[in-house]
Amino acid sequence: MDTQKVDMFIMTNGKFFESFQVAQIRDRLISLDDSKWNLIQTLQFKDPVISLIVSLLGGALGIDRFIIGDVGLGIGKLLTCGGLGIWTIIDWFLIMGATREKNMAELQKVLY
Amino acid sequence: MPLPGKKLYSILFIACAAGYIWLGLNISQGHHEENIAVEVCLIKHTTNIPCPSCGSTRTILALLHGNIMDSLYWNPLGLIVLLIMLIIPLFMTYDFVCKKELLLKMYYKTEATFRKRKYAVPAIVLILLNWIWNISKGL
Repeated sequence: MDTQKVDMFIMTNGKFFESFQVAQIRDRLISLDDSKWNLIQTLQFKDPVISLIVSLLGGALGIDRFIIGDVGLGIGKLLTCGGLGIWTIIDWFLIMGATREKNMAELQKVLY
Repeated sequence: MPLPGKKLYSILFIACAAGYIWLGLNISQGHHEENIAVEVCLIKHTTNIPCPSCGSTRTILALLHGNIMDSLYWNPLGLIVLLIMLIIPLFMTYDFVCKKELLLKMYYKTEATFRKRKYAVPAIVLILLNWIWNISKGL
């Protein structure tokens, strides 16, 4: 794929992935066929900052987990007062990483 | 894009263990169902409003003491939590011994079910109704 296109993608979407993944994503995108560009452009990624805000406000009800697509864990948090309050606090620190992981999984579906 | 299996098993194991430790602590503290189980809830502490699952511990304790009507009164969600807490260790041991992935499959199936709107919307409505009931009970 065109390097310019890939760099544009990285510039706009780099914040949705872990920093160590970005170089790998870039290499993979460059080696990818041009026909996948349209598909990649239509992907919607979840913003880690939004999920952090949701986690701070609605973490005790598990809404943060529901939003990033972990429905099962969301139910678990909802039914246990946010894991007795402890899981809520742990998730304030984990949720941004978890969101980035979900984004990576989403992108990987197209890449591989 | 579900969770990888190993991570899920450790999360469920920790959650279950914490649940049993919490229950054990409450049982060893005595039989005063009214005075316990509210002190860890973040929502209850910050807003003074009970959260949707407040009262689950009291439900389970009441059930253990044989007061079925009481346990239904406190919070019916507690019974679901108890059921999950009973099922997960069983499945986990089975998976561990027989090297299968039954629990994982069940988890993914539950997730897929609740992603569908026809199951998600009634579930949300039920949870909200239960929450309103919780608030009106003043748990």
